[in-house]
Amino acid sequence: MSDDFENRRDLAEIAATRYREGRLTRRGFLAAMTAMGILPAIGAGKANAAASELVIVNWGGKAAEVIKEVLADTYTAATGMKVFIDGSGPSAGRIRAMVESGAVVWDVCDSGAGSAIILGQGGYIQPIDYSVVDKTKVLEGTAYTHGVGNYVYSYVMASNPKLLGGNVPTSWQDVWNVKDFPGMRTFRKSVRGMLESATMAMGVPTQDVYAALDTEDGIDAAIAKFRALRENIIVWGSGSESQNLFLQEEVSIGNIWSTRAHLLKDQMDEGAFSVSFNGGVIAPGIWVVPNDNPAGTAEAMKFIAHGQDPALQVKWLELIGSGPINPAAAALVPEALKKWNPSSPENLVNQILYNDEWYAKNQISAEEKYIDALIN
Amino acid sequence: MSLDKARYWLLALPALTIMIVFYIWPLVGILAISVTEPAVGFGNYAKLADSSAVQTSFIITFRVAAITTALCVLLGYIVAWSITNVTGRMTPLMIALLLLPFWVSVLIRSFSWIVLLGRSGVVNDALLGAGVIDAPLRLMHNEFGVIIAMVHVMLPFAVLPIMANMRGIDRAFTEAARGLGAGEWTAFRLVYLPQTMPGIISGALLVFVLSLGFYITPALLGGGRVLMVSEYITYQIQEFLNWGLGSALSVGLLIATAAVLAVAARFVNLRTALLERS
Repeated sequence: MSDDFENRRDLAEIAATRYREGRLTRRGFLAAMTAMGILPAIGAGKANAAASELVIVNWGGKAAEVIKEVLADTYTAATGMKVFIDGSGPSAGRIRAMVESGAVVWDVCDSGAGSAIILGQGGYIQPIDYSVVDKTKVLEGTAYTHGVGNYVYSYVMASNPKLLGGNVPTSWQDVWNVKDFPGMRTFRKSVRGMLESATMAMGVPTQDVYAALDTEDGIDAAIAKFRALRENIIVWGSGSESQNLFLQEEVSIGNIWSTRAHLLKDQMDEGAFSVSFNGGVIAPGIWVVPNDNPAGTAEAMKFIAHGQDPALQVKWLELIGSGPINPAAAALVPEALKKWNPSSPENLVNQILYNDEWYAKNQISAEEKYIDALIN
Repeated sequence: MSLDKARYWLLALPALTIMIVFYIWPLVGILAISVTEPAVGFGNYAKLADSSAVQTSFIITFRVAAITTALCVLLGYIVAWSITNVTGRMTPLMIALLLLPFWVSVLIRSFSWIVLLGRSGVVNDALLGAGVIDAPLRLMHNEFGVIIAMVHVMLPFAVLPIMANMRGIDRAFTEAARGLGAGEWTAFRLVYLPQTMPGIISGALLVFVLSLGFYITPALLGGGRVLMVSEYITYQIQEFLNWGLGSALSVGLLIATAAVLAVAARFVNLRTALLERS
C-alpha cells in the first residue's frame, strides 16, 4: 500500500486515450483490455509460461505496448528468447498469492520499492543477482536486495505562466505565496508526493526533508501548511484529472506526475505550460523476480540487465515519458527532451528520492490528518 | 398455516429471495467486514467517532443534503404547481421535458456543469464578455457548484411526488374557500398547502436520502474540498485499501439515514404521508 502503483495504472489510462485518438492499434488496445485485470494471470491461457518464454508483467495499456517494443522485442532479437508481456498489474498481493500457491507464471514484475521491501521480507521474491545486473547502471538508492529500479517518474511543479502573468514559481515557497502567484493550485488527493513540497515550502533544504518529516511535529507542520493554503487548492485523484485541470485552465500551479506533464507540454498552448523539477520527488519503478519463476533466475536477471541499456531507456522516455534510470542515459536524451527528463543531471540535483520506508511507517496516519486539513 | 396463506407466501417468495440474495446478504457482508477487518472488534467504529475528518465529512454531507432538499422542494413545488394547474394541452410536453434529463446519464449532466461553471466556462465567459465582472468567479470546486448541480440532478425526484399528490387534489376546496371570502394567499395557505403536505414530505425525504448517499456529482464538482461521506468511503476502499473503515463508514451512513427517517416519523405519520394518496 505504500507502493505508488497508481502511476503505473495511470499509464494504462493514457493508453485508452491514445486508442481513442487513433494512436494505439486495435491489437494493442485489446491487449490492454485483457490487461486491465479482468482475467486473472493464473489460468489465462497466454500467461502459461513455458520455460522457453519469459513473462514480463506490468500495469497494462500503453506501457505494456511500449515495454514490448522497447525491451521485449529487442531482447528477443538479441537472444532469441521469446518474451510475453502480461499487463495484469503485479500488485504485492498477487505476487504473494502466486508464490504461496506454488503456481508461479511470472518472471519479472514491474513493482515498487514499498512492495519490494515487503515481499523481500516475506521471502516471496528472489534477491537480485548483481553479478549480472549492474548496480552502477541505476540511480543511487534504487538498487535494493530484492529489487532493482527500471525507470523513474517524478512529482513536479507544473505551472501555467499565462495565468500567472508571466511570473513562474521557482520553488515551493513561491507556490505557497498566493499574493505574488495568484490562482488555484492542484495537489494530489493523497499525501504521497505532497508532504515533501509543503516541508520544502517552509524552507527546509531538500536533503533534510524526510528527516524533518520523521517527527510528529514535522508532519503536523507540513499538514498545517496545507491547511493554510487550502482555500486555493483543488485536489486531483487521478492522472487524467490533474491533466484536465491544467487543460481547462482551472489551476495555475500544480504538483503533478511528470508523465502527465510530458503529455501537457504538447497539449497546452505555446508559453502556457512550464515544468520545474526544483524540489521534485523522484520515484523509481522496481523490477522484482518472484521465487521459482518459470524461466529461471538466470534468464530473468539477463532480461533485467538488458533493460539497463541507456539507448533503450531513452526510447522509453520518448514513447511514454518514463524517465531513464541509468545515469548514462541522460547524455543520450535528445536536446528537446532534456529538460523533460526526470533523471537528467540538472533535474536530479534538485530532487529527492521518494522514501518508501517513510511512507510505510507514516502514510496511514498522515492521510487522515491531510484530509482533515483540506476539508475542516 | 392455511393453504391460502401458504399460497400468498409462495407468490412472494421469488421477489423475497432476490431481495435477500442481492440486497440483504451483501449488506450483512458489509457489516461483517466492518467488524472483522483489520481486527475483530469495534475498532473501526471507535476510529470513526474519534476522527475529526469523518465528523466534518458527515456535517458537510448533511448540510449539502439539507440545502439541496430545501431548494429542490421549493423549486419543485413551483414546477409541480405549474404543470398541474396551468394548461391542459401543454401538460404532456411539460412532463416530457421534466423527464428528459433521466435519459441523460448523471455523469454527463455533472460534466456539463463543469463546462458551464468552470473558470473558462460558459457562465464566466458570458459575464466577463458583458463586463459584469473583471475576473472569473469561483463557481465550481466548492460547495456552491456542488449544490447547483445536485439541485439540477435531484429536481425531478422532488417534482414527481408533489405532482402526483397535487393531481389528486380537488379544486373545489380552494374555490369554496375563495367563495367564502378568503383571499388568494389565505386560500392557498390554509386549504391547498396542507393538502399537498404528503407530497412535499415524500419529495423531501426522497431527495434528502438520495443526496446523502450521492457520489458522482459532489466528487466531480467538489474539488476534493467538499468531501461527502460517499467519497470518503471510496477513498478508504480504493486508495487506502482499508475495507474495514470503509465498511464502517457505510454502516454509519446507513444508520444516519435511518435516524433521519426515525426523526421524520416523530413529526409526521409516515404511513399516511407516503402510502395514502388523498
